[in-house]
Amino acid sequence: MNKNPLNHQLETAVKLRHCWCSEKPLPCSSRNSASMESLNTFTNPLNPPSPRRIPLKPFQIHHHHPKSTQRNLSSPISCKLKSSQKDTTKSSTKLISQKILLSENMPPPLAEEEDGVEAEKPLENDKNGAMGMWLKRLPRRVLSVLSNLPLAIGEMATVAALMALGTIIDQGEAPDFYFQRYPEDNPALGFFTWRWVLTLGFDHMYSSPIFLGTLVLLGTSLMACTYTTQIPLVKVARRWNFLQSSEAIRKQEFSERLSRASVQDLGIILMGSGYEVFLKGPSLYAFKGLAGRFAPIGVHLAMLLIMAGGTLSATGSFKGSVTVPQGLNFVIGDVLGPTGFLSNPSEEFNTEVHVNRFYMDYYDSGEVSQFHTDLSLFDLGGKEVMRKTISVNDPLRYGGFTIYQTDWSFSALQVLKDSEGPFNLPMAPLQINGDKKLFGTFLPVSDTDASSVKGISMLARDLQSIVLYDQDGKFAGVRRPNSKLPIDIGGTKIVIVDAIGSTGLNLKTDPGVPIVYAGFGALMLTTCISYLSHTQMEQQWLSEERQTEQKANFLRR
Amino acid sequence: MIFSTLEHILTHISFSIISIVITIFLISLSVDEIVGLYDSSEKGMIATFFCITGLLVTRWIYSGHFPLSDLYESLIFLSWSFSVIHMVPYFKKHKNYLSTITAPSTIFTQGFATSGLLTEMHQSEIVVPALQSQWLMMHVSMMILGYAALLCGSLLSVALLVITLRKAIRVFSKKNNFLNESFSFVEIQYMNERSNVLLTTSFCSSRNYYRAQLIQQLDQWSYRIISLGFLFLTIGILSGAVWANEAWGSYWNWDPKETWAFITWTLFAIYLHTRTNKNWESLNCAIVASIGFLIIWICYFGVNLLGIGLHSYGSFNLH
Repeated sequence: MNKNPLNHQLETAVKLRHCWCSEKPLPCSSRNSASMESLNTFTNPLNPPSPRRIPLKPFQIHHHHPKSTQRNLSSPISCKLKSSQKDTTKSSTKLISQKILLSENMPPPLAEEEDGVEAEKPLENDKNGAMGMWLKRLPRRVLSVLSNLPLAIGEMATVAALMALGTIIDQGEAPDFYFQRYPEDNPALGFFTWRWVLTLGFDHMYSSPIFLGTLVLLGTSLMACTYTTQIPLVKVARRWNFLQSSEAIRKQEFSERLSRASVQDLGIILMGSGYEVFLKGPSLYAFKGLAGRFAPIGVHLAMLLIMAGGTLSATGSFKGSVTVPQGLNFVIGDVLGPTGFLSNPSEEFNTEVHVNRFYMDYYDSGEVSQFHTDLSLFDLGGKEVMRKTISVNDPLRYGGFTIYQTDWSFSALQVLKDSEGPFNLPMAPLQINGDKKLFGTFLPVSDTDASSVKGISMLARDLQSIVLYDQDGKFAGVRRPNSKLPIDIGGTKIVIVDAIGSTGLNLKTDPGVPIVYAGFGALMLTTCISYLSHTQMEQQWLSEERQTEQKANFLRR
Repeated sequence: MIFSTLEHILTHISFSIISIVITIFLISLSVDEIVGLYDSSEKGMIATFFCITGLLVTRWIYSGHFPLSDLYESLIFLSWSFSVIHMVPYFKKHKNYLSTITAPSTIFTQGFATSGLLTEMHQSEIVVPALQSQWLMMHVSMMILGYAALLCGSLLSVALLVITLRKAIRVFSKKNNFLNESFSFVEIQYMNERSNVLLTTSFCSSRNYYRAQLIQQLDQWSYRIISLGFLFLTIGILSGAVWANEAWGSYWNWDPKETWAFITWTLFAIYLHTRTNKNWESLNCAIVASIGFLIIWICYFGVNLLGIGLHSYGSFNLH
């Protein structure tokens, strides 16, 4: 029988689970070279498998294998812990004296070869008839098709290619633009005309059906893959079966008999190697690298979360922008417009926003450094509920919506003409070049009924200084609004009283943002964990390789 | 004033040192390995690292903002990242071939940045309001580190492809003696370092064995560094999205630069997924990573040439 009281054998099922096993063949022993094939053991690590090749493993154990085994292991494995040869005499009647119990699982994510196997077998005993069988089989077929890795890679490549195309073709222009840019009589690349662009929706690529459809397909592939591949991995990992009897242990894929070994010592050794060890009576269970198995699942789930949040943002948010001169107000609900069918206005849309003051900071060189707006929010009853000064990168958040400072403009110039006034002259944008703007206004001095009116022109790049030109267009002088210094132009005395700016605000309410942020955080975290657990395994493997190399050299001498 | 001269000096020192280092590498490649030279080239790289760090710190102090707000500064940061990546394996005592990729990359980037093409950009620019944020540091530095690591990894894959394809070509034609010799130098170097490996006579030619080992090493290293670069790129893209939401209210605008960063991310995700399939392994992955090299340059430089979109701070015109 198993237990020979004279030998004090302890049979320990040491289930070593290595995730992220590095795929490199170990160069040390040529005998192992025959067994350097990957092994898809993840489907049935606990059932007695058919005779398989022994996979490479990062954890080297040198041992000499007896000739006869009932398992027909095709190549020997060398083990470090010298198991006594005397075992073979006793265990020759038994099944499997020396097999390494290493339930080694494929590194996730997508071991797609298994899905075909899994999909086909469970339905042999279905007796409902052909139609019922086909219907029952359909979800599984669909799942197995969707979680195919080459399909996923193809989808990702398609998404990338479409995005690249979207940057090359100008987006959002009028159809006329595309008629001129991709004419039919001189097609780009020989075939690409405006018909392609407009029918396939390439002029609004990122909301076109083709692009969104590919994204949806990618999302379903992600879900299918997670369901079929990753979740079974988790189930397997969580079943911490303490196999009590030695038969059960020996039925494992790989099991090893160590004579005169104590479970505690083995546990300590394993813990030293970084395994998580669980001891229960005479049984021991150890695993390693569990995080590396969960992390890719986490990555895919995080991506699904981001996609869901993005969809909610696209269909359920409100956005709008407004340019408000200093001193005026607006109601939030008037400014915001819905983006999709899930948008629901809330009570806070009745809030009124008053722009108390708009001002800008400047560098010494005269460039704009920052713009600030002092805002007050009033509710329906006229009570001030919030007051804040916002600037770029510092928005105002209230009641689910956010107000961002994005732009500025020049509203009006307040002047005194010959001590009359003040007159508010509206400033018009003459040239807007991104951050560089030019505004101008005109003060007529001669008779306004004449055919060509003469007057004083005033130009400004920012709210700091106004440049004045006389009736002939010649430069007259520069004034700052707060200096109250008069300037005399052709007999007319002008005093610049104030420069009234207007602030450009973007408003937004987006219910999808918390979900998307959660997805972002999860993605960052799981990618980190995935990378770190991989390097951990790599380090382990590297150090073991060095050790074995040194030992091999030593033995050679 | 003193800071600007200091910066000037440091720029020129770093450029000169790294030219010397490259020369040493080339010499050691053509002459049999002289250990003293190897050490001095490593010391040269360390000196370069300190010079570039000093350059960046000086610029930071002098201009008052983190040195990453326009294209010139990001190029300096890129060469700094290359020198960091070069030094990490050196301190961990891994002998590897990453150094042959990172050192030339550092010099080319540094040289391009300090060359006459971009002299008008050397002055510290003022920072526009949209860039005055804490997020700038995290987002841009992560992106540049990610680009550097991914560039190294894709160059290693290109090297792997060249070696593999050369092996295939050599089976058919035995006439390229010159190329044979130049590659055999690399293999001789490798042999010297692995001279204590147990050799069995079952391999048909020792040279093939070493070539296979070299390919395997290149593959392994490129996988490692691409995973690291992928991590940095992910963090960079996501922090950029969060910053955009804080600044403009929308976390993704399909800006050309954002889109191309996402395309790069997708491509390297394809690379990582391709590696899980053991049948395809080295050759297909190497092809994907080599395409990645082009895509990164388009993303980093090509989009800036367009000069439009939210990332227009980095634009410049080639005259």
